[in-house]
Amino acid sequence: MEAIARIAAAAAADPAEAKNTAAAASAGYAYGLAAIGPGIGIGYLVGKAVESMARQPEAAGMVRTTMFLGIAFTEALALIGFVVFILLKFA
Amino acid sequence: MLRAVVTQSGGHVTGVRLVSADVSVVPAAEGEATEVEGTGPNPIAPETKELAWGAGSFLVLLIVMRVFLFPRLKKGMDQRYANIRADIEGADAVKAAARNDVAEYEKALAAVRVEAAAKIDAARAKLDAERAEKLREVNARIAARRNDAEAEAQAARAAARSQISAAVGTVATKATSIAVGKSPDASVVQRAVDAVMEGASR
Amino acid sequence: MIALEFPPINEILRWKDLVPGFNKISIIAILAAVIAIGLFLAATRQDHNSAPKGSRNLAEAIVEFIENGVVMQTMGRDGLGWTPFLLSLFLFIYLCNVPGIIPFFQMPATARMAIPMFLALLVWVVYNGTGIKHQGFFGYFKSTLFPPGVPKALYILVTPIEFISAIIVRPFSLAVRLFANMLAGHILLVTFALLSEALFQAKDKVLIPVGILPFFMLIFLTSFEVLVAFLQAYIFTILTAVYIGGAAHPEH
Repeated sequence: MEAIARIAAAAAADPAEAKNTAAAASAGYAYGLAAIGPGIGIGYLVGKAVESMARQPEAAGMVRTTMFLGIAFTEALALIGFVVFILLKFA
Repeated sequence: MLRAVVTQSGGHVTGVRLVSADVSVVPAAEGEATEVEGTGPNPIAPETKELAWGAGSFLVLLIVMRVFLFPRLKKGMDQRYANIRADIEGADAVKAAARNDVAEYEKALAAVRVEAAAKIDAARAKLDAERAEKLREVNARIAARRNDAEAEAQAARAAARSQISAAVGTVATKATSIAVGKSPDASVVQRAVDAVMEGASR
Repeated sequence: MIALEFPPINEILRWKDLVPGFNKISIIAILAAVIAIGLFLAATRQDHNSAPKGSRNLAEAIVEFIENGVVMQTMGRDGLGWTPFLLSLFLFIYLCNVPGIIPFFQMPATARMAIPMFLALLVWVVYNGTGIKHQGFFGYFKSTLFPPGVPKALYILVTPIEFISAIIVRPFSLAVRLFANMLAGHILLVTFALLSEALFQAKDKVLIPVGILPFFMLIFLTSFEVLVAFLQAYIFTILTAVYIGGAAHPEH
């Protein structure tokens, strides 16, 4: 803890280092926050899809296609978060 | 300005080194960022050479597939499916024809069976009639014979009776004439014999 | 203490030129096209009347997957003319994804932005072109930007949203979805490979058996990447089909 505090103090003194530290921290937050919503969304979506497949097995093919489409749209949000992570961390 | 370089091991700080900021020695963790900025573009920026090669290969694939490969493959698939469908249709036709034949055969069979049954019935009726005819003939003959026999037996019995009554009459006349000394009237004797024989036969 | 040193991101993503302007990504892209063409070439050279086997069986299975799993599900019978385009798209993306787990390649070509971006832009051109061809320039933009059945007052809100979603977000999300999935998979594989390597070579002997854990994770993630490679190619293809179908027949 002492070491981290010292690094932080030293880093805060240097504007470039301060930017890097802030970027790394906010990159982590960006990805973590971006993963919450889509995580809930995909869970809900797949759960409902499984439910409807169990209820109507003859419609399983159609449900599966639509489920993948929904997952693709939902997942895009998390992936944009991931790209923002890369941008913040490395750009 | 000074920078702290901390070496850490297992939670313990093993060494702290202070370096001045103008020296370009940077700790490894921050080395990444500066190195990336130094060595190349943003990791998610597209690169022209990769774009060119990727686009080129995809367009070649697309054109070859669109113009040449896919139509040939699809034609082959369609042809084979058409063949299979034709085969299935042919098989269906053959099956239908066979089913027709079976139906016709069964129809003919039924007709023949009906005819045979009619013939058998007719034959049976004829036989029955003949048998009844013969039976009646035989019965008639038997009846005639029985009649004849009965008549004969009647006649014989009548003859025997008349003989017996004549004999009995004779015997009675003789006995009476012996007992009484005078022969009785023949008609009286006859009547008495008849009455006795009537009573005996009863 | 283990010496886990994560390499700079560009070291695991950018590849040196073998000859100027030609690197590993280019090799993978060319190989993808060559393998796809080779497979279908081998397939068409077989006798098409006997039962398909080998390459022809594979090629026909892929074609029927595209026809029944993608085109018929999204565009219906009218869309069957798009099969070769979607087929090339699917094969190319899949064959660019799969080198991510093939030894010595170990790099999905789609984890670089160039190929996904090009494909997404191509799809953007194709579906907008289809819409303009089928409905006319103004008809297409009218049906896209002013969806019927919306109260007039709401057009102030709906039209900008529709414009952004149909014209900007679609190609962007199409490219980013493919790129970010493959990049994330690649970085995960690198991370776990490095972690298990560092643990297996740790100076502290106690740590060596612990290396089994990230190694198993690495194996699991590798097989997961097989699925992701297929799924991303499928999703890219089916979304393309949905966009083209929507542009050609807006009433659906």
